[in-house]
Amino acid sequence: MGSKQYKLVLEVLKRLDNEGVLSQTVLIGSWCLLLYKDYFKSNLSLLRTRDLDFLCPRSMKVAKKINVPEILKDLGFIQEFVYPQGYIKLMHPELIVEFLVPEKGKGRNKPCPLPQLGMNAQSLRFLDLLIKNTIQLELEGVKVLVPHPAYFAIHKLIVTQRRDKKEKALKDIQSASAIIKLLLERGQKDMVQEAFQMVSNKWQNKIRDLLRQEKELDILNVLA
Amino acid sequence: MAIKGVLKEELDNSLRMKKRYEQELAKLPKGSLIKKNIKGRQYYYLLLREKGKVKFIYKGKNASSEMIKKYAEAKILRAKYRKLLSQVKKQIKFLRGSLRGKQAI
Repeated sequence: MGSKQYKLVLEVLKRLDNEGVLSQTVLIGSWCLLLYKDYFKSNLSLLRTRDLDFLCPRSMKVAKKINVPEILKDLGFIQEFVYPQGYIKLMHPELIVEFLVPEKGKGRNKPCPLPQLGMNAQSLRFLDLLIKNTIQLELEGVKVLVPHPAYFAIHKLIVTQRRDKKEKALKDIQSASAIIKLLLERGQKDMVQEAFQMVSNKWQNKIRDLLRQEKELDILNVLA
Repeated sequence: MAIKGVLKEELDNSLRMKKRYEQELAKLPKGSLIKKNIKGRQYYYLLLREKGKVKFIYKGKNASSEMIKKYAEAKILRAKYRKLLSQVKKQIKFLRGSLRGKQAI
């Protein structure tokens, strides 16, 4: 899954960029770590799944209607309707492309149709945090929007507590801690605090409890 | 521990992927459209394999451009999907082997 996978990611990004999708969506999930590695110029752990997730604002507008499954079909991507939720995943042995939207209100167990992309998105809680502060980074000349690392890390510290799978929760904590430590090393304490302030008091307390439990005292001091 | 979780998730994904590629392959029109030259005249045949035997099914003197396109696209997709299916099967074997290991990952 090495360089073949990287080439495929790049090809998908280029195709989405050509169609004007990339400037309207935010790359989230573990593939952000690859871009953060360059941003920090550091050896960030690159343990990631095949999921290439794009976050769409609910009010997303693209100049022309496009069909993402068709655009990626000749690369070998096949559509999978995930039941019972009804959202669409585009699957390839090297990558799984998915579109997500922030969940609003009490949430509903239905997909969010994105007719402008020919996709159904999955709506998930707390994703709005990832849109609040984005930065543009480049991957071999392709401009990609990603959440600011501070927001990415705080989001990870929330979702880790909602995971059913312990192993995935551990991966979230590890990547969040590593990113926050790199931000602190680079004097971006304010950004970490700003992202933390965006979270409700209830979740701030839960994050502090988690950091205490994980003995991440340096981070805890910043968020005290 | 974290790696084991990722591997488990990837195995589930690969198993679903295998099923989907098999379904997509089954959906594609069977056979390839070929043109035969017989005594200076052209005839179209559908070449396919049934129960291990190669069969030529006569399609006529002419074939519509849609039909030619349909079989040409199916041929490309079939080759692609077969290759990817084989890749997924190798991934499943690798992931199962990794997760079966006695050592903690």
